[in-house]
Amino acid sequence: MLVDRYAYSNRWRAASPEAKATFAAGGFIAAFGAGRPSAALTVAVVMALVTIGGARVPLTVWLRVAVAPLGFLLVGMLSLVFSVDAVGDGALSLRWLPDGWEPVFRLGTRSIAALSALLFLALTTPLLDIVALLRRLRVPATLLDLMVLCYRTLFVLTDAAQAMRTAQAARLGYATARGTFNSLGLLLANLTVQVWERSRAMQRAAQSRNGDGAWRFLEHDGAMPHRELALALSGAVLLVAYAFGNP
Amino acid sequence: MHAAAALLEFANVAYRYPGGNSGLAGCSLAIEAGTRNALIGANGAGKTTLFQHANGLLRPNAGIVRYRGQLIGYGREGLRQLRSEVGLLFQNPDQQLFSASVREDVAFGPLNLGLDAATVRRRVDEALHAVGMDDFSDRPVHSLSFGQKKRVCIAGVLAMQPRLLVLDEPMAGLDHAMRGDLLRVLDELHARGVTLLLATHDIDFAYAWADRIHVLAAGVCVASCASTELPRHAELLTGCGLRVPAVIRLCGALARNGLAFGNGAEPRSVDALVGLIDQEKES
Ligand SMILES: Nc1ncnc2c1ncn2[C@@H]1O[C@H](COP(=O)(O)OP(=O)(O)OP(=O)(O)O)[C@@H](O)[C@H]1O
Ligand SMILES: [Mg+2]
Repeated sequence: MLVDRYAYSNRWRAASPEAKATFAAGGFIAAFGAGRPSAALTVAVVMALVTIGGARVPLTVWLRVAVAPLGFLLVGMLSLVFSVDAVGDGALSLRWLPDGWEPVFRLGTRSIAALSALLFLALTTPLLDIVALLRRLRVPATLLDLMVLCYRTLFVLTDAAQAMRTAQAARLGYATARGTFNSLGLLLANLTVQVWERSRAMQRAAQSRNGDGAWRFLEHDGAMPHRELALALSGAVLLVAYAFGNP
Repeated sequence: MHAAAALLEFANVAYRYPGGNSGLAGCSLAIEAGTRNALIGANGAGKTTLFQHANGLLRPNAGIVRYRGQLIGYGREGLRQLRSEVGLLFQNPDQQLFSASVREDVAFGPLNLGLDAATVRRRVDEALHAVGMDDFSDRPVHSLSFGQKKRVCIAGVLAMQPRLLVLDEPMAGLDHAMRGDLLRVLDELHARGVTLLLATHDIDFAYAWADRIHVLAAGVCVASCASTELPRHAELLTGCGLRVPAVIRLCGALARNGLAFGNGAEPRSVDALVGLIDQEKES
């Protein structure tokens, strides 16, 4: 969990989530407002630079996290670049660039800018901080409980899967191609059972400490960090102003 | 026995798991208020199953469980009452921790007790301090080591300030220093009048620490005695596949060879025996 690791260890870990979210929101709005591809790219680069230079997330980490969504984006753009038409008797014709490069670039660069803004938030702010922030913003509790539960379960499951894989590998489960298929099948089947067991165990754990289904949380008791917020807000405003100034 | 004074009492409790495995098979034992109790038994003897009955997580198929002389009510209110007074530490910390952050998990129980935020915050801080995890309060649970998770679990139960604390192998996986710390916490709780019941595989520790020892074998409590009487149950222990505490064997060997120490007072740990021997030499 690369994202999680840096969310906890970056230089701005302790900065207020409000400030970081404000700045990220600024990046988002700017991404949508930027008309010219060059403007959107600038927004993307600024957000990335702030993440790498400001929060000290290594460039390689940023790239590794970004590569998967960028891949999806590329595939999505390809489908816009080509268009398949049905001509006459069941034959298909492939057309290159139905509407020209312009809209594709526009969409692509905006998406990259939005991604860069999202990565800024994800790589500098632990999910728990984000959830706490959302709670303060009065997002429905059920939604947040679900987020927290998924987050915890994600780690419990990857731990379980990893432990099983290691255990299988230690006993030569992956030594041959045949064995690999066999082991993977076993692992998947067991993981299903484990998910079931885990959910029951979690329920029992909650019950043992008087949990009745409703999750209660401690209110945040820190003072509002005005300076950080002001800084983030001005950064966000600058970005948005720049983006809308370059339609 | 002193049934009237028992805080928690199991009478002929039988429990069969849904798959058909027998968890408990007519187990009877009583925990008296204010005592330190150790539950020992081989793997699969039913310790965990028994503990889950103490907290109302499992309901016996047959037999009864009494808390403070009253049958446990398995309705919503009855269980709420019981669980606010009986704290349970799970054997496996990963089963107990479900919140994402340490502080959140420790706060879970106290918040469920309906305490106000200030009290909860104080209790969480105290509990985390007691287990030496103050610096970890904002860490995500999954980034902790096994022993650290275990400590967080202990804090989560301590924060509820139970009257009876049930601990399923609390020492397993803790380092030497932490065991000492945990023992001090338990001593403090005991001094405050909290009743303690813990399961352990460390028979030497059980003998040295507990006031009463309960032996579980194949779902039945085969012996419940004051620790001081344990030397007379040595054969029973071996019969259940358990080890006899080292100090009992040592004392036995010494006595057989005409080397009795401490005029009849039996030492309950090797350390105590060493102390006696040194004393003997000085006098
Ligand atoms: N979830 C379960 N489903 C079915 N059978 C179970 C389950 N949990 C325990 N058992 C069975 O119940 C019996 C008692 O198990 P229990 O977990 O109480 O033992 P234990 O004394 O805690 O052992 P250990 O020292 O290994 O923790 C065992 O025979 C076990 O196989
Ligand atoms: Mg057990």
